[in-house]
Amino acid sequence: MSGMGPIYPKEKPDHPYVQFSTGGYLFGNYNSLFCAGCGYGIIGHIFTRVFEDEKIEPKLFPLIIGIGCYTQLVTLVHHTSQKFFALHGRAPAVATGMKMANPKLKPIIFSGDGDCFGIGGNHFIHMCRRNLDCVIFIFNNSIYGMTGGQAAPTTLYGAESTTTPYKMFENRIDGVNLALAAGATYIARTTVAHPRTLMKYFRKALKHKGTSVIEVITPCVTYFGRKNLDRLGVEYLDIIGEKMDNTGRMLDWIKRNSVRINQAKFMTDEELFNNYIIGEFRYEPDKPEYSEEYAKIQKIAMEEK
Amino acid sequence: MKNNKRYLPEGKYVMMGNVAMAEGALAAGLSFFGGYPITPSTEVIEHLSKRLLEVGGSCMQMEDELGSINAVIGASLVGAKAMTATSGPGLSLMVETISMAANLEIPFVLCDVQRIGPGSHGPVTAPHHNDLGLIRFAGHGEFQVIALAPMNCQELFDLTIEAFNFAETYRCPVFILSDAYLGHLHEPIYIPPKEEIITRVINRELPQDYTKKFSYKDDNIGGYIIPKPPIIGTDYFPLMTLHLPHNYEGLPGVSALLFMEILIEKIKTNIDKISITDEYKLDDVDIVIIAYGLPVRACYHAVDIARKEGIKVGIFRLVTVWPFPDEKVKKVVKNVRAIIVPELNYTGFIAEQVERVTKLETPIIKIPKVGVLHHPDDILKVIREVSK
Ligand SMILES: Cc1ncc(C[n+]2csc(CCOP(=O)(O)OP(=O)(O)O)c2C)c(N)n1
Ligand code: SF4
Repeated sequence: MSGMGPIYPKEKPDHPYVQFSTGGYLFGNYNSLFCAGCGYGIIGHIFTRVFEDEKIEPKLFPLIIGIGCYTQLVTLVHHTSQKFFALHGRAPAVATGMKMANPKLKPIIFSGDGDCFGIGGNHFIHMCRRNLDCVIFIFNNSIYGMTGGQAAPTTLYGAESTTTPYKMFENRIDGVNLALAAGATYIARTTVAHPRTLMKYFRKALKHKGTSVIEVITPCVTYFGRKNLDRLGVEYLDIIGEKMDNTGRMLDWIKRNSVRINQAKFMTDEELFNNYIIGEFRYEPDKPEYSEEYAKIQKIAMEEK
Repeated sequence: MKNNKRYLPEGKYVMMGNVAMAEGALAAGLSFFGGYPITPSTEVIEHLSKRLLEVGGSCMQMEDELGSINAVIGASLVGAKAMTATSGPGLSLMVETISMAANLEIPFVLCDVQRIGPGSHGPVTAPHHNDLGLIRFAGHGEFQVIALAPMNCQELFDLTIEAFNFAETYRCPVFILSDAYLGHLHEPIYIPPKEEIITRVINRELPQDYTKKFSYKDDNIGGYIIPKPPIIGTDYFPLMTLHLPHNYEGLPGVSALLFMEILIEKIKTNIDKISITDEYKLDDVDIVIIAYGLPVRACYHAVDIARKEGIKVGIFRLVTVWPFPDEKVKKVVKNVRAIIVPELNYTGFIAEQVERVTKLETPIIKIPKVGVLHHPDDILKVIREVSK
């Protein structure tokens, strides 16, 4: 993250969505705190846009934000939203408490790949298992951005990071497979290079009763791009790539490495190596939702003599 | 849907300590419990799994203690009275969240049923007051907590209500220090009528003034003001919940030093209201026993016998163990010849505090025990030796 970022002119921008930003509302500063070329700006914009267009009632959709670079999305998102910063990895547990203490709410969680699959993996699994009614966004940039470019559980094979200077050789976690196994009922993955799809998934998740997991592949130019080549993982084919030190190359790389789910069915594991499969993996709107099931049991317990 | 199950009918009951504590929490208005089984606290979650649902609340067995405490925080943020119960190993896992909650002034109650430590297996049903060292500064950052130490099942019921009131009023982590024997003890207790309990309970309510959401220093009156806890889902919630030093709106704009001062002084300046103590045969004493929790019960017996022998000894009991009541203790130990501190640990967490506030020449005799309770004779022996 690049410090406090540029200070834009104080007047309110004409932009239909940027004008709602929390940073602008509070400090008259409509900038973003992310590095130039980071994908999180797009995500903040999309969130605010859906929030505004769908006329979301902020008091019913509390925003729980984990710890990572994306925590600074707080300055971009709609200023009326009610935000709480959870501890690193613990957002799903906080959401569980909120939902169970006030089932009218539908928490929306921002989480990262390190936050959700590293330190907070257990809470994520159990939230999916319960099928608790909430939306969780997992921003996967294949790296720990906030702490300066260390390897994440999602770091691709062969990638360089500050803690894998000799290249990453651990297996990476597939968040979608994890969510599938754990039992979430709406699971999708897309990238910031597909913003309209992301909006579509978000809208669908808002209407879905149950755990909605949306993994978003997003570029970290500063710590992933600068160190890695855009042919990452295919060096064994003797293809040498170029450094991904700008957004153009990174978005290009993300697009090239994203395979649609229906295409992926016909591809071998080797062909899918280090690729991201995108699309909707599960949509089961009829599965019982935790807080509703809980309410039924509460009713029985309350009526019992 | 409402029913009357929250309050047990008035009367005498025989209850296990853990159950009495859970009933106290219900009486105080508990509506969310998040826990993870750990001996010797498990009966709390078992009891509430039935009872809390009967009153329309939620009792969740979370995936681990990190999950429990974070769910408790989440529930508290939406306006529920929330608590968890655990023992040493679970408490250690919770401290990161405890510090965060203390800094954001999110109220919650934690019942620590202490067990012999530090192991995670073995004879864990023996008592050991070993967690006070952790609890008094529970986590990173600077803040104050409140810790109450009941000594029988009746107090587990009564003080739990008090603990919730403290959490609401002072917006800091509040601990109930139970232990393996106390939690498993079965004793007769009296449950007062519903009407009386209701008058004792401070409810979670929205304030008149929505502008100030976190504690601040009011220079006009020179004191510290603690607003009611903000609630998600209402208009009374800050735009942000900064983990950093924040002003009463939750925004940056207060120095880190002043922020720490507020967090600590909001408790310290109210110590007269927070500190509950009890005195037993304390006028005209030569020797004073300072104790808390279960060991106090052995002390009563020892003091009665010693008094018959003509030894001028009395008990100063800490019901609120933390914050430590410096001034009260100073007054009590002013003219005594010796101080006896029986504690269920080796270190003597309270003995250290007594040492801090007493004159150098007054001897402080610790009676440490771990895993077994003090026998009145253990204490009597020391009293007799000191009185020679
Ligand atoms: C308990 C704890 N351990 C470590 C940290 C330091 N830390 C802050 S953010 C972060 C990594 C976040 O990575 P990710 O979730 O992938 O988000 P990104 O920064 O990449 O957006 C770490 C390790 C912390 N805040 N808390
Ligand atoms: S994720 Fe990477 S590019 Fe984005 S703000 Fe963090 S360090 Fe910068």
